[in-house]
This record gives sequence, C-alpha cells and structure tokens, in this order.
Amino acid sequence: MEIEVQNLRKRFGEVEALRGISFGVFPGEVFAFLGPNGAGKTTTIKILTGLIREFQGEILYRGEPFSPRILSFKRVIGVVPQHNNVDRDLTVEENLKVHCYLHGLWGKKQRERIREVLELTGLQGHLRRKADHLSGGMKRRLIIGRALLHEPQILFLDEPTVGLDPAVRRSMWDLIRGINVLKGCTVFLTTHYIEEADMLAQRVVILDAGRVVAQGRPQELKEALGRYTLEIYHRDRIEEEFFQSREEALERMRSLDVPAKVREVNLEDVFLSLTGRRIRV
Amino acid sequence: MKGVWAVFYRELMFYRRRGVRTVLSSVIYPALFLLAFGYGIGKGARVSGMSYITFLIPGLITMSSMNQAYGISVEVNVSRYYFKIFEEYLLAPIGRWEIMAGEVLYGMGKGLLPVLFLLGYSAFAGIGLRITPLFLLCLFLHLLAFALLGFIIAMAVESHADQAALSSFVMVPMIFLSDTFYPIDKMPLLARYLGYFSPLTYSTKLIRGTLLPGSHLFSFKYLLFMVGIILALLAVAVVLVERAEA
Ligand SMILES: Nc1ncnc2c1ncn2[C@@H]1O[C@H](COP(=O)(O)OP(=O)(O)OP(=O)(O)O)[C@@H](O)[C@H]1O
Ligand SMILES: [Mg+2]
Repeated sequence: MEIEVQNLRKRFGEVEALRGISFGVFPGEVFAFLGPNGAGKTTTIKILTGLIREFQGEILYRGEPFSPRILSFKRVIGVVPQHNNVDRDLTVEENLKVHCYLHGLWGKKQRERIREVLELTGLQGHLRRKADHLSGGMKRRLIIGRALLHEPQILFLDEPTVGLDPAVRRSMWDLIRGINVLKGCTVFLTTHYIEEADMLAQRVVILDAGRVVAQGRPQELKEALGRYTLEIYHRDRIEEEFFQSREEALERMRSLDVPAKVREVNLEDVFLSLTGRRIRV
Repeated sequence: MKGVWAVFYRELMFYRRRGVRTVLSSVIYPALFLLAFGYGIGKGARVSGMSYITFLIPGLITMSSMNQAYGISVEVNVSRYYFKIFEEYLLAPIGRWEIMAGEVLYGMGKGLLPVLFLLGYSAFAGIGLRITPLFLLCLFLHLLAFALLGFIIAMAVESHADQAALSSFVMVPMIFLSDTFYPIDKMPLLARYLGYFSPLTYSTKLIRGTLLPGSHLFSFKYLLFMVGIILALLAVAVVLVERAEA
C-alpha cells in the first residue's frame, strides 16, 4: 500500500474538518477524493503533505509511519495546490529553477529535468515569458510541471481542473493520465466534478462533511445502485429510481404521468443516495 | 543549504525584475535627507564637536539601511499570505531555518545598497569616514538585526493594516529617537528614555563610532548588546518559522 490512513481527525477551533477518516492508496493507481465544498479534501492533502503539522490519527507511507518533520517523505511527493501559486513576477524558467534549487537539482541535471517537464506540459515555447502573462490553463500546467521536476512517486493534485473551461479540462485529464501511465506516478486527486472522478480514477473515496461515505471502484459503487437511473421530474423536486436494465427503466417511465428521463448511473447518484444531497448545490 | 540559495535566488530574480525602481527608492530617501538636513538646515552647524554633515551621514547610513532590511516584512508577508509562494518552500525537503536564512540574507543585501551609495557620496564629498573591519562587523550586525526583525513581523503580523500601524507607531518614531539625526542625550528626558529602548540607538552609536574613530562613540558594551538582541530575534524567528503552516 502506498499510503494508509487510519482514523484521521482534524479540528480548526469549532470546526471538525475531518471526523476520523480511513482509506488506502495503492501504488500506481489514480485515486480520487470526491466531495462537495468543505468536505475536508484540502485538509487531508495538507496533512498528507506536511503543510498541516497538528492532527490526530495514523498515516503510513509504504508501511513507514509518517511525520511532517521527516524530510525524506517530501522527496517522494509532488504537490499541486488548489489555488494557483505560480510566482507571477518570475518567468516560467525562473519558477522552475526555484523548485529545482529547493530539491537540490543543479547544472546539467536541472536543465534535463526542466526540458522534460516543458515537453510533458507543452510549455516549450514559453520559457522566458513572465508567469503572470500565461493563460489560466498554462499556469495550471506550469504548477503541475513544477511539481514533477524532482520526479516524485506520488503526485497530489487538489482540484486540478477547477475553473477551467471544458476543452482545457479534457486536455488536463490527458496530461494527468499521461503522468500516471508514462511516469508510473501514483496520483491522488481531489475533485467535486463527478465526471472527473469517473473518468480518471481507478478508485474513489466519497467524502462529505469530514466523513467517508463510500469508497471503492467507481464501477462497483455505481453498480450497487443499478445500471440505469430514471430521473422523474415532479413539480417541486427530482426523484431518482435505479434499474438493472434500460428496458425496466423505460417501462417504468411509460407508466408515469410526469416527465422523466433515463440515463446511466453516475457517482452523483451514489452521493445522493448516501447523503440525501447533491454534490453541487 | 540548498534551501537558503533557492529562497535567496527567488528574491534576487524578483528584485531584478523591479530593477531600477527599487534601486532608486533605496537611494532617493537618504539623498533627500542629505539635501534637507545636511545642506538646508545643517550647513555650517556643528554637533558633538564635528560638522553636522559628518555627524549626519553615519545616521543616514543606519536609518536607510534599516528601512531597506526591515522592508522585507511587507514582501515576505505578501508572498506568504497573498501569493502563497511560501507553500512551495514549506513543501520542499529543506529545514525551516533555511527559509528564514534566505529571506534574511536578501534583506541584508537590500540594506547594503544605500550604505554603498552614502559611502560613495562621502568619499566624493571628501567627508573623512574610516572603513575598518570593525565597521564592517557593526554594519553586519545592524543589517542582520533589522532583517530578522522584518522577517519576524512578516510571519507574526498577518494583516497589512497592522503592519502599517506598526511602521508608523514603532519604526518611524524609532528613526527619530535613535541618534540618527541628532544626539539623543540632547533630547528631553522622555525621548531619551525611549531612545534607550531602541536597538537602532546602539547600532547607530556603533556605526558612527567606527566610521568616525575620533567621536569616541564606539563601545564593546554596545557590541555585546547588539549580539544579545540578535540572539533573541533569532530565537523568535526560528520558533515562528517552525510553527508556520500553510
Ligand atoms: N485554516 C482553517 N481554519 C479554520 N477552518 C478551516 C481551515 N481550513 C479549513 N477549514 C474548514 O475545514 C473544513 C474543510 O475544509 P477543506 O478546505 O478541507 O474543504 P475542501 O473539501 O477542500 O473544500 P473545497 O472544495 O471548498 O476546497 C471547512 O469547513 C473549512 O471551512
Ligand atoms: Mg479544497
């Protein structure tokens, strides 16, 4: 197991951000935390990457107990934070160089790493541009590239596509898949986009208000409900019913006297059936 | 050590980008003071047995280098809380003290610029200042103390309004109560007592004393005192940077 978390708790004063969560991440997989705003996704990432030092619970990295004070953990992880923290006064190259220096990469090795990362992220022509002048998508690519410079074995991505338009989001998905497959990097990502978890992740933890409400393969989680969802549009609410086959769902639809629609089950349905709420309100 | 260089390199590139503007701002202040006090009011005046301009220049050196070194408080604060650049440092496999050292080194470098300008000017104007190893040591301690103070304020005072208040209620009065423009022993009693609490008083005495050996201002007592202040500041800075979370 790459990361094992047991009964992780974190309070900020009155707020219980994490109320005892347990989960595991396997080597080489894309693992997703899916949950609405305030679920505790960022808090978990900050604890696992040593940015928050006070917490309760047990964390093992490859069987070794994790402590935010042990520097060697930091060499194997790369982190892409939720907010965009490129150094806007510096050029793309200088941004990358600062990270290289922080990880003790100098000279030829540094040039090699920067070249590879530029190729991977498609930022080759922009080395001398001021980071502030890049587009939103390019800034995201820059911080992803930056996190890969020291060749981490686990990459944390906190809401990597939030605020990006759909086309850019898709290209970001390709990039993340590429990193996972080509670099053999374990990917831990958080998202509140259902499609994103569905498309990218081999395994998902669904988080709500500091608690794990479900975990497993997206396929398994969905199949526990059924394969098709019938959305029934009542005047004041939408009701959902689940069926194993499209025929059953269609038959039920014909028996109704209100509008309805049949579609495949998705992770939103899983969230809804477990919490009674939708991920995006 | 790699962390010290990384942080220092970042600040250097940042500074370079601001270029001419920052260099000018670190020089314009002392130049204006020189004009107003040195030539406007102080022409022909004598203080503590020397011409006022000779007395003033070491004071301007400590004042303007303090301002520049302490000035990292705003820059570090902005890059921590606003641009979140600090997070990169906290995530890196480096000791927390390396972040502090990199920033403090940058503050000291910034503080050196107006010193070079004023020393250059005095050589040009024929004001006899003596640059000795002891002066360099005192200057080093002075820059270190105020860069550390700037770093501490950056870490401890999150809001910009509080930072501005601190500057107008502590830093600016300190400049006027610390021997920089006028010897504090000529001031009213209250001002004198306040002056004794200001570290700038001691670093000014040390720097003026070493630049003007005839003034008999230098004392090892002050030197020890500065070292004590620096050790205390260092302890506070280390605790604050160790406790920092993103
Ligand atoms: N430094 C802090 N001080 C106080 N409360 C905090 C702090 N950080 C997080 N919280 C609270 O903890 C809870 C979880 O926050 P967290 O940022 O982990 O959520 P999230 O799942 O990442 O949400 P989002 O999708 O909005 O990023 C929220 O209620 C938040 O207000
Ligand atoms: Mg978050």
